[in-house]
Amino acid sequence: MRSVPRFRDLPVTLRVPLVTAGLMVLLGFLASQSVLVTLGRVQDARLSETARLHVEGLSVALGPSVLRQDVWEVYDILDRAHSAFDGQRLLLSIVADERGRILAATDPRRAPIGQEVATLKAEAVSPDRVRMTGDPTLRVVSPLLFQGREIGQIVTELDVTDLLAERRNVSMWLLLGNAVATALLAFGGWLAVARILRPLGTLVLAMDDSKGAPRPIAKADIPSADPGLSRLIHTYNRMTTAVESRAEAERRLAERERFVSLGRLSSSLAHEVNNPLGGLLNAADTILCYADRPDVVRQSARLMQRGLSHLRDVTRAILDQNRLDRVGQTLRPEDLEDLKLLFEPEVARRHQTLIWQVDAGLAELARLPAGPVRQVVLNLLLNAGAAAGPAGRVGLGVVAAHDRLTFDITDSGPGLGQADLDRLLASGPLPPGGGVGLRLVRDLVSGLGGEIRHHRQGGTTCVRVTLPMQGATDA
Amino acid sequence: MKSTRRAVLFGAAVLAAPRVGTRAFAQGPGPFRFALTPVFLDNDAAVIAALRLALAHGMGQDIELVQRRTYQEISGALLDGSVDAAWTCGYPYLQHRSELSLLGVPVWRGRPLYQSYLLVGKDDPALALSDLRGAAHAFSDPDSNSGFLVTASDLARDGQTPEQFFSRVIFTYGHRNVVRSVAGGLTRSGSVDGYVWEALSVAEPALTAQTRVIARSEWLGFPPMVARTDRRNLPSVKACQTALLGMSGNAPGKAALRLLSLDRIDPGEDALFAGIAARMAVLAKG
Repeated sequence: MRSVPRFRDLPVTLRVPLVTAGLMVLLGFLASQSVLVTLGRVQDARLSETARLHVEGLSVALGPSVLRQDVWEVYDILDRAHSAFDGQRLLLSIVADERGRILAATDPRRAPIGQEVATLKAEAVSPDRVRMTGDPTLRVVSPLLFQGREIGQIVTELDVTDLLAERRNVSMWLLLGNAVATALLAFGGWLAVARILRPLGTLVLAMDDSKGAPRPIAKADIPSADPGLSRLIHTYNRMTTAVESRAEAERRLAERERFVSLGRLSSSLAHEVNNPLGGLLNAADTILCYADRPDVVRQSARLMQRGLSHLRDVTRAILDQNRLDRVGQTLRPEDLEDLKLLFEPEVARRHQTLIWQVDAGLAELARLPAGPVRQVVLNLLLNAGAAAGPAGRVGLGVVAAHDRLTFDITDSGPGLGQADLDRLLASGPLPPGGGVGLRLVRDLVSGLGGEIRHHRQGGTTCVRVTLPMQGATDA
Repeated sequence: MKSTRRAVLFGAAVLAAPRVGTRAFAQGPGPFRFALTPVFLDNDAAVIAALRLALAHGMGQDIELVQRRTYQEISGALLDGSVDAAWTCGYPYLQHRSELSLLGVPVWRGRPLYQSYLLVGKDDPALALSDLRGAAHAFSDPDSNSGFLVTASDLARDGQTPEQFFSRVIFTYGHRNVVRSVAGGLTRSGSVDGYVWEALSVAEPALTAQTRVIARSEWLGFPPMVARTDRRNLPSVKACQTALLGMSGNAPGKAALRLLSLDRIDPGEDALFAGIAARMAVLAKG
């Protein structure tokens, strides 16, 4: 299943409009909240005022009757006040005497005469503290004052169903209205921001689609109205040219490196060519001197044949190393033999010992391209030979296992320096000085999907190159 | 039904009372003063106006209708001469029998008689007065026959007083208020004028539907119109009596009687109030 991309992984052209829309949603929410809070305050004030006026009005009318304990008068006043009150907000009004016993109520069945008012005034608050709690009925209690003396209490039950409904309606319309407004604003914001960021999107696309080769943005797509963005894209275009130039330079450098490696072999190879030449010239002189002696001529001719064969092998190996038409060909055992042929004179020159162990057949070798592998192995052998020094040991071990081909290039030298390791193992900028051979090895191995490891054990330096065989499935 | 509503009379809204009869204590020559009580009569302006018009028409002089909250106040006003005549109840009439004389007795449904009803809430299981022990009870006025004396004398026959029998007794000073008290649940039961309850059942059926009559008294003398005996022969008092008795013979009188749901006004006699007198005797003994 495809996982949902994280927000920070989204493109900036999506993130900025999303953030804009989110802020607008937040603004809408805060505005709605503010309206609801204000409405709540207005309703609370209205409720408080209603309760206060009711209680004050009743206090004035009821005072003498309560003082006389005139049940009927109290009931009559409550009853007429209740039926005359606007909006039927008052569900129940109860009047109790100063001992807390009910004198009369608008609904005597709920609040019978003589009962304690305490149970009915539970959760009741004073009129100025009454607040909407979400309960459809609220209770208010207030002292009944007459001529400055408290002569009883008035408990009132308020029906706030209509206020709750009003709040619900306002909430719903606010939610609906703000949702629509926010959606429109968010969409408008999206369009505006997306339009503003379109050149940036083009830039991102150009960079994303570059596949390592950034392409410049056409002049028509550069927004002339936005100096900042325009400058940014021009800078980008200049960078793409610079990147192209750098890639071309690296390509040429790599090409040259192939000759460089041969150049490093040139003195050995010159000896290798020159040494047989003396023998060959002697053989030619012998043939000229003893042309009448067939056995001597035959012996000299065989000598010349062996020498010329060797020269032919050496030149073929050199040619093969440089032939461009071998691109795309697969690796063969003969390629490794060629490398040995080219490298042996170098070993001999330094009186070194070469350990050459190839445990891979044609079937395994043929699953790798010849050109890059030859270049990698030759470069590493040349480095190992140079590191091993006179009378040192140099080795190549090739093992095929688990769809991978491993090349171990060993030497008895002092080991690679940090600068060489940086070239071989890291992808950072090349340190100043030194050649590009090791970096070329790294780039070629990366290109083949392989890896390089370096370790040193018992005075032996080992550079291990592991290459996955093509057509292999990852086990 | 509006005219019917106005036709009925009932005990009344107390706060409105002071608006009527502001000249109640006027001294010296002036209009004939006729007292009413809201215990019995509603302060409906149409009824008051029709009655005033009928009396003025019959007497040929201006009439001032004076209202007081209680029968006691009416009796006091009669006795101290503040008013010339009054429509009161048989009980206060008998209480002051020596000072008062009959001017007339209204005839309701063919007879100058009415009953007292004992009311409970419509869903109350009580069947008789004895089932109401320990309940809150509403009377209309301590000087009302139907609204107090009947129930109090019934209890006195068993050697009890209303205060002992009921948990709480309240006076509403209006028969309609007694019905409201029982209908609203303020009291479990109430004693009410049968004439008022019947009239209410036509004018405000929703109110009386909340109540149920569980006991009716014997037929008793209808609340009479009275005047002080020593003024009985004054021309104005005589004219008042003539006007009352002749109401059914003229248009303004008929209109007033129609609004009051009464047939006519008869001269009446003390024998009509024998039942009330008997109950007064029971109460006095108790």
